[in-house]
Amino acid sequence: MGRLPLEGVRVADLTHFWAGPAATARLAELGAEVWKIESPSAWDNGRTLIHQPGAPTPWESSYWFEAWHHDKKSVSLDLAQPRGRELFLDLVQHCDVVIENFRADVLDKLGIGWDVLRAVKPSLIVVSMAAFGKEGPDAALVGFGPVVELMSGLVSMTGYGDGEPYRAGVAYGDPVAGMAAVTAISLALLRRHRTGEGAIIDLAQRETTAAMAGEAFVAASLEGAEPVHHGNRSPRFAPQGCYRARPSRTELGTTRDEQWLVVSCRDDADWQALAAVLERLDLADLDVDARRARHDELDGLIGAWVAARSAQGAMEALQAVGVPAGRVLDSGAVLDDPHLLGRGFWVHVPHPRMRRHKQFAPTWRMAEADLQLRRHAPLFGEHNAEVLGGVLGLSEDELAELTEAGIIADAPINPGVG
Amino acid sequence: MNSHGADGPLPLEGVRVLEVGGGIAAAFAGHELAGFGAEVVRAELPVRVPLTRHEEVYLVAGKRRVEVDAAQLRALALEADIVVEDRRPGELAALGLAPADLRTAKPELVVVSMTPFGQDGPYAQFETTNIVSFAMGGIMSVTGSPYHPPLVTGGSQAQYLGGLNGAAAAVTAYLGRVLGGEGDWVDISLQECAVANMELYASGTAYGDQVQLRMGNQVRPVWSIYPCGDRWAGVFCLQRQIPALFEVVGDPELDDPRFIDPLRRLEHAEELTAKLYVFFAEHEPAEILELGARHHVPFGVALTPRDLLEVDGLAARDYFEDLATPEGPARVPGRPFPGLGWHQGDLHEAGADTDAVLADWLGAAAERRGR
Repeated sequence: MGRLPLEGVRVADLTHFWAGPAATARLAELGAEVWKIESPSAWDNGRTLIHQPGAPTPWESSYWFEAWHHDKKSVSLDLAQPRGRELFLDLVQHCDVVIENFRADVLDKLGIGWDVLRAVKPSLIVVSMAAFGKEGPDAALVGFGPVVELMSGLVSMTGYGDGEPYRAGVAYGDPVAGMAAVTAISLALLRRHRTGEGAIIDLAQRETTAAMAGEAFVAASLEGAEPVHHGNRSPRFAPQGCYRARPSRTELGTTRDEQWLVVSCRDDADWQALAAVLERLDLADLDVDARRARHDELDGLIGAWVAARSAQGAMEALQAVGVPAGRVLDSGAVLDDPHLLGRGFWVHVPHPRMRRHKQFAPTWRMAEADLQLRRHAPLFGEHNAEVLGGVLGLSEDELAELTEAGIIADAPINPGVG
Repeated sequence: MNSHGADGPLPLEGVRVLEVGGGIAAAFAGHELAGFGAEVVRAELPVRVPLTRHEEVYLVAGKRRVEVDAAQLRALALEADIVVEDRRPGELAALGLAPADLRTAKPELVVVSMTPFGQDGPYAQFETTNIVSFAMGGIMSVTGSPYHPPLVTGGSQAQYLGGLNGAAAAVTAYLGRVLGGEGDWVDISLQECAVANMELYASGTAYGDQVQLRMGNQVRPVWSIYPCGDRWAGVFCLQRQIPALFEVVGDPELDDPRFIDPLRRLEHAEELTAKLYVFFAEHEPAEILELGARHHVPFGVALTPRDLLEVDGLAARDYFEDLATPEGPARVPGRPFPGLGWHQGDLHEAGADTDAVLADWLGAAAERRGR
């Protein structure tokens, strides 16, 4: 197997929660050495996002933290103390990339703003990823994925048609910004390889999210168009909808009541195949305008057919005749999905504080580079000695003094906060 | 041409990209590569679901567009540094462009394949549209109202997520080639790109939590959207931001353990929701944003794309680009992030660049055919 694409790249990772950690998780998978640097008193509150009653060290045993921090190294360092800041800047000299997703004003308040970082190492690549950018008229606005999604236009484009807009059920702006940051870092590394120059990338999560619907801006600028809510229907494909299937039984014998199937007819051929399955060949000649005009009636026919079947069985029957159809896989069904299982998407990495559970594999399958989860998320401050001692040459006595001063730690100083 | 704080060459200047596809995923990946300086050639092949005109304007501008036969396509692929494609698994091989064969002929080539379910597995040949990919990607199960069916989001997010991954993979694999000498073939499944982003839910259920279905907009009073003037606005607060929120709302009754304590707040959710309804109803969207900025409260307003074209915070950052189209001047999102430059290219007609590209890329070969 070939080398990993980011082998030899070192990242100082100051990010918290999701957008930033999603980016650096990908970098770690791709071979970069990622140092997750947190203050013992102002650590990533994503660690305790999940309530874990009775867990002895909940800050390092949650599935959330594991999902986004495997293959990283943990260094605790209080950046608000002068000695902590100084050590951070020493570490930066050994890094290619610094990435942070603090609120726009925080990096400067810590005394490690762009100018300071670039003065330490001019070839550094710095990625800031505040919701609205670190600079600009909206920099003072704060927010996470749902706010980003609202302010990017996407929420305004989603709804059942009763006027109320809907956001995605996940903090969608976060992983989109995270993946964009991966692109940014690889591009900046390429440019640095050619020219030697570093980069300051003021990524705004709103902007990476709005770029995911550029056609809506074309419509708005050319035609003054405002979003129209179609529910699950489509302005192009008809019929299209989400239909309730028969409840299914799980392996444990419990009933999963809500089972849904989406069906989407791209063209006349799809509709003719669907009409045959529905045993309504009398309707097979309807063109798309007629299908749209009679959409309620067709929904009734499809709904009745789906309701008599399992979602999986209905999907397979429609796919067998070439009609686009798919289950609305829920958080349990994705774990049992034959295709994801067949692709080896669910893997397991042993963790000293966690039960075995299904974890998702890297989403890029590379033929040469062997991308895989290699090691569990680090324990808090697990790599303090390796990084501060091994890279900066601090002695055991010095590390003990830092611990004494609360600048480094192997557990959060205030584990109840967050 | 090169703005946004970056001088000198664009990061992908001199990099040749062949886009073979027709769907949103390959087109979006190619769009990003073109903006960052690559020379992107888009081969127009027959597709069952072509891009809409609005998608074409956004995603195809900045590319040279060719109509070529299979032999020419293979020759172009071997002249490229990166091939991005979203054809059905097996179709490239049928055209004589099997990625493994291309890479045998040219080991430094990077090929990125974006397909609904990846190159292998039981669903690899399944038919999809965006809603099918979104449903099979899991995010739909947590999106929408519990009183209505699960809901697909606006635009074509499942397909864009594939392209977003494809662009990142193309650039990263190309970097790997520059540093290590060898290219790669990246197999990207749109389904996996979405399932990996199910936030708390897939990992949570894998760890023993209940299956979580859609909760609608009113997840919790402080994680919700409300009517506000002629728009909808939202508040999405972590516990540490609750004091600032309550101060902004200004209702003295909120200064009470039943609202401040996170567990007791759940028991009094209806009362708090009612108060927030009143708060949002009594303010205009612009006031909400101003209060959020001043007090560090995560407020947002459901802006429409038309609103965003007028937002100072985007104009001041030079986010949008002007693009001439036969229908008139369009404004489109430009660089996804600043700092590395961006080039907004023109919109070409399908096939307009066939001769020029064959001459540029294939040179002597084209001359032999008498062009």
